[in-house]
Amino acid sequence: MNINMLLVTVGMVLATFMTRAALLLAGRRFKLSPRVEAGLRYAPVCALAVLIVPEVVVQAGSVNLSFANPRLVAALAATAFFLWKRSMVGCIVVGTVIVVAFRML
Amino acid sequence: MRDSLPAAPGIVAWGLVTGVAMVKSGLAVHWALLISLLVYAGSAQLATLPLIVAGQPFWIISFAAFVTNLRFVIYSASLRRWFDQFSLRRRAVLGYFTGDFTFAMFMQRARREGDFAYRDAWFLGACGFNWLVWQVTSIVGILAATAIPSEWGLQFAGTLALLALAIPLCLEWPGLAGAAVAAPIAVMARGLPFGLGLFAGIVAGICAAVAVDSLVARRKS
Repeated sequence: MNINMLLVTVGMVLATFMTRAALLLAGRRFKLSPRVEAGLRYAPVCALAVLIVPEVVVQAGSVNLSFANPRLVAALAATAFFLWKRSMVGCIVVGTVIVVAFRML
Repeated sequence: MRDSLPAAPGIVAWGLVTGVAMVKSGLAVHWALLISLLVYAGSAQLATLPLIVAGQPFWIISFAAFVTNLRFVIYSASLRRWFDQFSLRRRAVLGYFTGDFTFAMFMQRARREGDFAYRDAWFLGACGFNWLVWQVTSIVGILAATAIPSEWGLQFAGTLALLALAIPLCLEWPGLAGAAVAAPIAVMARGLPFGLGLFAGIVAGICAAVAVDSLVARRKS
């Protein structure tokens, strides 16, 4: 039994349930101030940024901002495609094809 | 259920990618299945993958999942007006199964029809349908991934799915400012212990986004 993975699973279940259900359970008693609401609204995009960007620009421990970095090229192309077509599936396909192509070359 | 069909292709793609990415990042199949069945939060599952693979302690991983899920706090704040007469247990179940698509669908119908009858059953039906589609496709993804060679680099598909989620949020100035402040801090401080780099990036990003948000609001008024 892998204790750390078990704790990870339990922690993620709690983190998800708390964010989804806490206010529903509290009813109307608990009010959010506009500033807190703004903070909550922008927290996910910040979390996504700190998790995505290092995955893209850090290669084998160091920052690689050149076009020799397959993930950077793939992410830029996928972003451009998403902005053009607004398609999540297309964005994933374009980026994945580029990463796989880099590996095959 | 018919009302939730338009969202199905998106959930299918998202579920498949999440399943494949979890296994291709090196998660054992049984853990991937357990997390998928219990956690039921695609973006948090994908977002925490690099942290799990890097062997970060569970509280950092849970914190990252928590912040990624904070949008649900806003959802549940909007939902409670429609559900606060139901029992505590019912509300806990409704909360557990809330997803991005079901929330958007419910709010559309609630705005159109007000306090419509059996809204809890309607909401649970939509959520149950989404849950089923999601679970089936992510389990298919998990099992299919074991047959795909790791050299293809398919774990990056998970990061790309998150990217598709993040881009629309960056099309508004506050979101863009938050991401633009948060990301470089996380990259530069990635060597710090206890995920402090992530934490610093997120906090600085939120401050920047809230500041820009109030600037934008002031200019409008």
